Amino acid sequence: MVEYILNLNSIFGALSDPTRRDILSRVGDKELSISEIAKFYQLTFAAISKHLNVLEKAHLILKRRQGKQQLVQLAPAALKDASEYLKHYESLWNDRLDSLEQYLEAIQK
Amino acid sequence: MTENHSPNGKSQELVITRVFNAPRELVWKAWIESARLAQWWGPKGFKMMVAKLDLRPQGVFHYSMQAPNGPEMWGKFVFQEIVAPEKIVFINSFSDKDGGITPNPYMPNWPLEVMNTLTLEESNGKTTLTLRGGPINATELQAKTFEEGRPSMQQGFIGTWEQLDNYLAKNS
Repeated sequence: MVEYILNLNSIFGALSDPTRRDILSRVGDKELSISEIAKFYQLTFAAISKHLNVLEKAHLILKRRQGKQQLVQLAPAALKDASEYLKHYESLWNDRLDSLEQYLEAIQK
Repeated sequence: MTENHSPNGKSQELVITRVFNAPRELVWKAWIESARLAQWWGPKGFKMMVAKLDLRPQGVFHYSMQAPNGPEMWGKFVFQEIVAPEKIVFINSFSDKDGGITPNPYMPNWPLEVMNTLTLEESNGKTTLTLRGGPINATELQAKTFEEGRPSMQQGFIGTWEQLDNYLAKNS
Protein backbone atom coordinates (compact mmCIF):
# COMPACT_ATOMS: atom_id res chain seq x y z
CA MET A 1 0.00 0.00 0.00
CA VAL A 2 2.75 2.44 0.92
CA GLU A 3 4.59 1.57 -2.29
CA TYR A 4 1.56 2.48 -4.32
CA ILE A 5 1.07 5.85 -2.64
CA LEU A 6 4.66 6.75 -3.38
CA ASN A 7 4.25 5.61 -6.95
CA LEU A 8 1.44 8.04 -7.66
CA ASN A 9 3.70 10.81 -6.41
CA SER A 10 6.52 9.59 -8.62
CA ILE A 11 4.16 9.51 -11.60
CA PHE A 12 3.36 13.17 -11.15
CA GLY A 13 7.02 13.93 -10.62
CA ALA A 14 7.90 12.06 -13.79
CA LEU A 15 5.24 13.89 -15.78
CA SER A 16 6.28 17.31 -14.56
CA ASP A 17 9.15 17.44 -17.05
CA PRO A 18 8.29 18.47 -20.65
CA THR A 19 10.99 16.27 -22.20
CA ARG A 20 9.64 13.24 -20.40
CA ARG A 21 6.09 14.06 -21.49
CA ASP A 22 7.36 14.34 -25.02
CA ILE A 23 9.16 11.00 -24.78
CA LEU A 24 5.93 9.40 -23.57
CA SER A 25 3.99 10.76 -26.51
CA ARG A 26 6.49 9.19 -28.90
CA VAL A 27 6.64 5.76 -27.29
CA GLY A 28 2.87 5.86 -26.95
CA ASP A 29 2.69 5.52 -30.73
CA LYS A 30 5.27 2.76 -31.10
CA GLU A 31 8.14 1.04 -29.43
CA LEU A 32 11.41 2.89 -29.90
CA SER A 33 15.01 2.13 -29.07
CA ILE A 34 16.87 4.45 -26.73
CA SER A 35 19.06 5.73 -29.55
CA GLU A 36 15.98 6.42 -31.69
CA ILE A 37 14.49 8.37 -28.79
CA ALA A 38 17.72 10.31 -28.23
CA LYS A 39 17.67 11.55 -31.85
CA PHE A 40 14.65 13.74 -31.10
CA TYR A 41 16.38 15.82 -28.47
CA GLN A 42 19.40 18.00 -28.10
CA LEU A 43 20.48 16.07 -25.04
CA THR A 44 23.26 13.67 -24.27
CA PHE A 45 22.59 9.97 -24.24
CA ALA A 46 23.20 10.05 -20.48
CA ALA A 47 20.57 12.75 -20.01
CA ILE A 48 18.04 10.75 -22.01
CA SER A 49 18.87 7.63 -19.97
CA LYS A 50 18.25 9.61 -16.81
CA HIS A 51 14.83 10.67 -18.07
CA LEU A 52 14.01 7.10 -19.03
CA ASN A 53 15.01 5.89 -15.58
CA VAL A 54 12.60 8.33 -13.96
CA LEU A 55 9.83 7.16 -16.30
CA GLU A 56 10.63 3.53 -15.64
CA LYS A 57 10.66 4.01 -11.87
CA ALA A 58 7.21 5.54 -12.15
CA HIS A 59 6.10 2.51 -14.17
CA LEU A 60 5.20 4.78 -17.07
CA ILE A 61 7.36 2.89 -19.55
CA LEU A 62 8.50 -0.67 -20.09
CA LYS A 63 11.94 -1.51 -21.39
CA ARG A 64 12.92 -4.73 -23.09
CA ARG A 65 16.11 -5.91 -24.57
CA GLN A 66 16.24 -6.98 -28.19
CA GLY A 67 19.75 -8.02 -29.14
CA LYS A 68 21.97 -5.02 -28.51
CA GLN A 69 19.10 -2.58 -28.31
CA GLN A 70 16.86 -1.54 -25.46
CA LEU A 71 13.31 -0.92 -26.65
CA VAL A 72 10.97 1.40 -24.82
CA GLN A 73 7.18 1.45 -24.85
CA LEU A 74 4.49 3.28 -22.95
CA ALA A 75 2.90 1.49 -20.00
CA PRO A 76 -0.50 3.21 -19.87
CA ALA A 77 -1.84 1.71 -16.63
CA ALA A 78 0.09 4.21 -14.51
CA LEU A 79 -1.23 7.12 -16.53
CA LYS A 80 -4.75 5.83 -16.05
CA ASP A 81 -4.22 5.80 -12.30
CA ALA A 82 -2.90 9.35 -12.34
CA SER A 83 -5.76 10.47 -14.56
CA GLU A 84 -8.35 8.92 -12.26
CA TYR A 85 -6.79 10.61 -9.30
CA LEU A 86 -6.86 14.01 -10.98
CA LYS A 87 -10.45 13.53 -12.07
CA HIS A 88 -11.40 12.70 -8.50
CA TYR A 89 -9.51 15.71 -7.22
CA GLU A 90 -11.21 17.96 -9.74
CA SER A 91 -14.66 16.62 -8.92
CA LEU A 92 -14.07 16.91 -5.17
CA TRP A 93 -13.15 20.55 -5.57
CA ASN A 94 -16.05 21.30 -7.88
CA ASP A 95 -18.46 19.91 -5.28
CA ARG A 96 -16.79 21.92 -2.56
CA LEU A 97 -16.88 25.12 -4.55
CA ASP A 98 -20.56 24.51 -5.33
CA SER A 99 -21.03 24.34 -1.58
CA LEU A 100 -19.09 27.58 -1.09
CA GLU A 101 -21.25 29.27 -3.71
CA GLN A 102 -24.42 28.20 -1.92
CA TYR A 103 -23.00 29.40 1.39
CA LEU A 104 -22.11 32.82 -0.05
CA GLU A 105 -25.55 33.18 -1.61
CA ALA A 106 -27.24 32.26 1.67
CA ILE A 107 -25.32 34.75 3.82
CA GLN A 108 -25.89 37.64 1.45
CA LYS A 109 -29.67 37.31 1.40
CA MET B 1 -14.08 26.30 -15.44
CA THR B 2 -11.19 23.88 -15.28
CA GLU B 3 -8.02 24.41 -17.22
CA ASN B 4 -4.56 23.10 -16.99
CA HIS B 5 -2.44 26.05 -17.98
CA SER B 6 -0.88 28.49 -15.60
CA PRO B 7 -0.75 32.14 -16.75
CA ASN B 8 2.79 31.94 -18.08
CA GLY B 9 1.75 29.21 -20.47
CA LYS B 10 3.49 26.33 -18.75
CA SER B 11 1.15 23.38 -18.80
CA GLN B 12 2.10 21.84 -15.52
CA GLU B 13 -0.68 22.45 -13.07
CA LEU B 14 -4.26 21.51 -12.49
CA VAL B 15 -6.13 24.79 -12.21
CA ILE B 16 -9.74 25.33 -11.18
CA THR B 17 -11.37 28.74 -11.59
CA ARG B 18 -14.72 30.00 -10.31
CA VAL B 19 -16.43 33.36 -10.15
CA PHE B 20 -18.52 34.07 -7.06
CA ASN B 21 -21.17 36.72 -6.74
CA ALA B 22 -19.65 38.10 -3.56
CA PRO B 23 -17.02 40.65 -2.55
CA ARG B 24 -13.55 39.30 -1.96
CA GLU B 25 -13.57 40.13 1.74
CA LEU B 26 -16.52 37.80 2.24
CA VAL B 27 -14.97 34.99 0.24
CA TRP B 28 -11.74 35.44 2.19
CA LYS B 29 -13.60 35.24 5.49
CA ALA B 30 -15.36 32.08 4.34
CA TRP B 31 -11.93 30.46 4.02
CA ILE B 32 -10.21 31.66 7.18
CA GLU B 33 -12.90 31.86 9.82
CA SER B 34 -13.46 28.39 11.17
CA ALA B 35 -17.16 28.86 11.91
CA ARG B 36 -17.73 29.88 8.30
CA LEU B 37 -15.44 27.20 6.83
CA ALA B 38 -17.40 24.59 8.76
CA GLN B 39 -20.51 25.55 6.78
CA TRP B 40 -19.23 24.56 3.35
CA TRP B 41 -15.96 22.63 3.48
CA GLY B 42 -17.16 19.11 4.24
CA PRO B 43 -19.47 16.91 2.18
CA LYS B 44 -23.21 17.52 2.52
CA GLY B 45 -24.66 16.30 5.77
CA PHE B 46 -21.30 16.12 7.50
CA LYS B 47 -20.76 18.02 10.72
CA MET B 48 -17.42 19.79 10.96
CA MET B 49 -15.63 20.51 14.21
CA VAL B 50 -12.52 22.65 14.53
CA ALA B 51 -9.86 21.41 16.93
CA LYS B 52 -7.27 24.04 16.08
CA LEU B 53 -6.83 26.98 13.73
CA ASP B 54 -3.46 28.70 13.63
CA LEU B 55 -3.43 31.01 10.65
CA ARG B 56 0.22 31.61 9.87
CA PRO B 57 3.06 29.89 7.93
CA GLN B 58 3.55 26.37 9.27
CA GLY B 59 0.41 26.90 11.35
CA VAL B 60 -2.15 24.12 11.36
CA PHE B 61 -5.88 23.96 10.85
CA HIS B 62 -6.99 20.69 12.42
CA TYR B 63 -10.60 19.59 12.02
CA SER B 64 -12.90 16.62 12.13
CA MET B 65 -15.86 15.73 9.96
CA GLN B 66 -18.64 13.57 11.30
CA ALA B 67 -20.58 11.57 8.76
CA PRO B 68 -24.28 11.19 9.50
CA ASN B 69 -24.43 7.81 11.30
CA GLY B 70 -20.85 7.24 10.29
CA PRO B 71 -17.24 7.49 11.42
CA GLU B 72 -15.46 10.65 12.42
CA MET B 73 -12.75 11.63 9.94
CA TRP B 74 -9.98 14.08 10.61
CA GLY B 75 -8.21 16.41 8.24
CA LYS B 76 -5.67 19.14 8.42
CA PHE B 77 -4.14 22.04 6.57
CA VAL B 78 -0.56 23.12 7.10
CA PHE B 79 -0.34 26.71 5.91
CA GLN B 80 2.66 27.66 3.82
CA GLU B 81 1.86 31.22 2.93
CA ILE B 82 -0.97 33.60 3.78
CA VAL B 83 -1.46 36.97 2.10
CA ALA B 84 -4.72 38.55 3.22
CA PRO B 85 -7.14 38.90 1.48
CA GLU B 86 -5.81 37.33 -1.68
CA LYS B 87 -3.74 34.19 -1.26
CA ILE B 88 -3.48 31.06 0.83
CA VAL B 89 -1.02 28.27 0.16
CA PHE B 90 -1.66 25.14 2.17
CA ILE B 91 -0.98 21.43 2.27
CA ASN B 92 -4.08 19.40 2.90
CA SER B 93 -4.16 15.83 4.14
CA PHE B 94 -6.29 13.42 6.09
CA SER B 95 -5.38 13.23 9.73
CA ASP B 96 -6.19 11.57 13.03
CA LYS B 97 -7.28 13.07 16.31
CA ASP B 98 -3.65 13.58 17.29
CA GLY B 99 -2.91 15.69 14.24
CA GLY B 100 -0.80 13.17 12.32
CA ILE B 101 -0.97 12.49 8.59
CA THR B 102 -2.99 9.49 7.53
CA PRO B 103 -4.16 8.07 4.22
CA ASN B 104 -7.58 8.84 2.78
CA PRO B 105 -9.71 6.21 4.52
CA TYR B 106 -11.64 5.46 1.33
CA MET B 107 -8.73 5.58 -1.07
CA PRO B 108 -5.68 4.39 0.83
CA ASN B 109 -3.66 4.20 -2.38
CA TRP B 110 -3.79 7.88 -3.14
CA PRO B 111 -1.18 10.52 -2.33
CA LEU B 112 -1.10 11.55 1.31
CA GLU B 113 -0.62 15.26 0.88
CA VAL B 114 -1.89 17.78 -1.59
CA MET B 115 -0.46 21.25 -2.12
CA ASN B 116 -3.09 23.91 -2.79
CA THR B 117 -2.63 27.50 -3.87
CA LEU B 118 -5.72 29.61 -3.59
CA THR B 119 -5.94 33.12 -4.98
CA LEU B 120 -8.81 35.60 -4.90
CA GLU B 121 -9.27 38.56 -7.22
CA GLU B 122 -12.12 41.04 -7.10
CA SER B 123 -13.71 42.86 -9.98
CA ASN B 124 -17.07 44.67 -10.04
CA GLY B 125 -18.11 43.19 -6.74
CA LYS B 126 -17.44 39.65 -7.92
CA THR B 127 -14.60 37.43 -6.84
CA THR B 128 -12.61 35.12 -9.06
CA LEU B 129 -11.23 32.20 -7.13
CA THR B 130 -8.34 30.27 -8.63
CA LEU B 131 -7.15 27.06 -7.14
CA ARG B 132 -3.98 25.34 -8.23
CA GLY B 133 -3.22 22.03 -6.72
CA GLY B 134 -1.94 18.52 -6.72
CA PRO B 135 -0.01 15.88 -4.87
CA ILE B 136 3.34 16.57 -3.31
CA ASN B 137 5.95 14.54 -1.62
CA ALA B 138 6.29 16.20 1.74
CA THR B 139 9.81 14.99 2.38
CA GLU B 140 11.03 16.53 -0.85
CA LEU B 141 9.23 19.74 -0.07
CA GLN B 142 10.74 19.91 3.39
CA ALA B 143 14.20 19.29 1.98
CA LYS B 144 13.70 21.98 -0.65
CA THR B 145 12.39 24.43 1.92
CA PHE B 146 15.44 23.87 4.04
CA GLU B 147 17.75 24.43 1.08
CA GLU B 148 16.02 27.38 -0.43
CA GLY B 149 14.86 28.98 2.76
CA ARG B 150 11.33 29.52 1.52
CA PRO B 151 8.30 27.42 0.54
CA SER B 152 8.53 25.92 -2.89
CA MET B 153 6.09 23.92 -4.83
CA GLN B 154 6.91 20.64 -6.37
CA GLN B 155 5.69 20.92 -9.93
CA GLY B 156 4.53 17.39 -10.04
CA PHE B 157 1.76 17.57 -12.56
CA ILE B 158 0.70 16.15 -15.78
CA GLY B 159 1.05 18.33 -18.85
CA THR B 160 -2.11 19.01 -20.71
CA TRP B 161 -5.32 17.08 -20.36
CA GLU B 162 -5.21 16.70 -24.12
CA GLN B 163 -1.86 14.99 -24.08
CA LEU B 164 -3.01 12.64 -21.38
CA ASP B 165 -6.28 11.90 -23.12
CA ASN B 166 -4.34 11.24 -26.30
CA TYR B 167 -2.08 8.73 -24.60
CA LEU B 168 -5.03 6.98 -23.05
CA ALA B 169 -7.07 6.99 -26.24
CA LYS B 170 -4.25 5.51 -28.25
CA ASN B 171 -3.29 2.96 -25.70
CA SER B 172 -6.44 1.58 -24.15
